[in-house]
Order: sequence, then structure tokens, then C-alpha cells
Amino acid sequence: MYKCKEIIELTSKEMDTSLPWMTRMEMKLHFLMCKTCSRYAKQLQFMNKALGALEGHDHAKNCRLSESAKQRIAKKMQQAKETVK
Amino acid sequence: MTQSNNESPENWLNDYGDILYRFALARVRSEATAEDLVQETLLAGFLAYDKFSGNSTVRTWLVGILKHKIIDHYRKHSREVTLLNDDETADDVLAYQFDQQGNWQVDLVEWGTPDKSMDDEQFWLAFNDCLTRLPKRMADLLLLRTVDGLATEECCALLGFESDNQLWVTLSRTRVKLRQCLETNWFSKE
Repeated sequence: MYKCKEIIELTSKEMDTSLPWMTRMEMKLHFLMCKTCSRYAKQLQFMNKALGALEGHDHAKNCRLSESAKQRIAKKMQQAKETVK
Repeated sequence: MTQSNNESPENWLNDYGDILYRFALARVRSEATAEDLVQETLLAGFLAYDKFSGNSTVRTWLVGILKHKIIDHYRKHSREVTLLNDDETADDVLAYQFDQQGNWQVDLVEWGTPDKSMDDEQFWLAFNDCLTRLPKRMADLLLLRTVDGLATEECCALLGFESDNQLWVTLSRTRVKLRQCLETNWFSKE
């Protein structure tokens, strides 16, 4: 029988690799009996979902490219444009 | 957002420079590196503009290029195998959550319907804040594996983990930390 501490490690591992059938059955059984681990697993699922949606959400809008960086990049773009012509 | 109707490459720096910069900075945590990545992305986009199909927005397309540049960055700077450091063992977090026998000794806060949070801009600030608080290599690992979908073996090679098992253990600890932070920073406050 797995301890809760082992179950949360397996819950994470299952997201990255496939586990043996027996292990998955034991986890299912454990979740039926243990509310906390089952809650943990659900929250991890949500975190994965949020991570997947992360790039669609721009944050910290006050964080911007510095003027000097902008000028440097603009110059590089201009050079590239002239080279292409 | 200052999006102009004219999507010509001259406007990209103004229209998307900051967005790309924030995206890169969240991943590499170095202003200079993030600036370089924005520059490489805009130049690569400019040179490949004839391949832009128009099936997505320019913004999405440029972010896609940036994601490749970020992975390239890790490939160029892949680490020698390194020992796990104290930050990464996260025993502090595990120790107070579990007793000696490995049973829970804390109650997890019920997150209700967390999907609702995904419509809330404040949630994404809290989420990003929690990612920033993770030790760098843990955040790198979680994002390369979960968001970029790199294979386990490649993550090991890029970040210097010595075995798949070490990587899985670290990923689990990363998720423990991130979950704990989200609970404290967001779900306990709602």
C-alpha cells in the first residue's frame, strides 16, 4: 500500500510517463479512500491546464523593453531590411 | 493594446516588442537575454515573413518563433550534470505537509471551480508570481516539459539531471511548491 507522500509523487509522475497497470489501480483505490490526495490530484490537473493556457495571457504590463534596447533592435531590423534589398 | 492595422514588420517592435519581452523574461529571468531573444525573434520573423500564412495572428506567429528561440537558448546553454541544490529538494514544503509515516498532516483548501479563475487577469498575475518564486531550474523544467512538451531525456540533458528518476522527483516537488503557492496567493484569498 502506498503512503500519501508516495501517491502525490506518482500523481505527478503519471503526467509525464505511463505507469504500470497495478500502480494505477492502487492509486485509484487510494483516491477513493483519501479525500486529500484526490483533491491534490485534481488541483494538479488544473495547474497543468493553466500552464497550457499561460502563453495566451499577457501579464505585468508595466514591464517593458527599455528605450535603449528598442533602439538597438530597431537598428538591427533596419540593417536586415537593407541586406534583404 | 497598441495594435495597428498595418501589420508590416516595421511596426512589430512597437506593437509586439513588449509582449515578446515579457514572455521571454518570464522564462529566462535575465533582461539582457530576454532582449536578445526579442531581437532574434523579430529578425527571424522578418526574414520568414513570406512564409507567414495568415492563419494565425502575427502576434501568435511571433510568440511561436520566440518559443523556438527560447528552447534554442537552453540547448546552447545546456548544463553539465549538477547536483540538486537545497532549493530544489523542497523538503521544507514536504516536511510540514507530511508526518513521519508519510500521511498528510495539513488540509488542502478546496479550490472550488478553479476554471473560473482563468478568466481573471489577477489570477494570471498570481500564477506568474508563483512561477517566478520557484527556483530557476525547477521552473525551467516544469515549463520545458509541460508547456513546450520536450521529452524527458531532452529535459535531463538540457538542465543537467542525471536520471529520469531525478527529473520526476524534481517535477513532483516543483508541483508541490507551485500548488502550495497558488493556494496561499490565490485560492485562500478568494
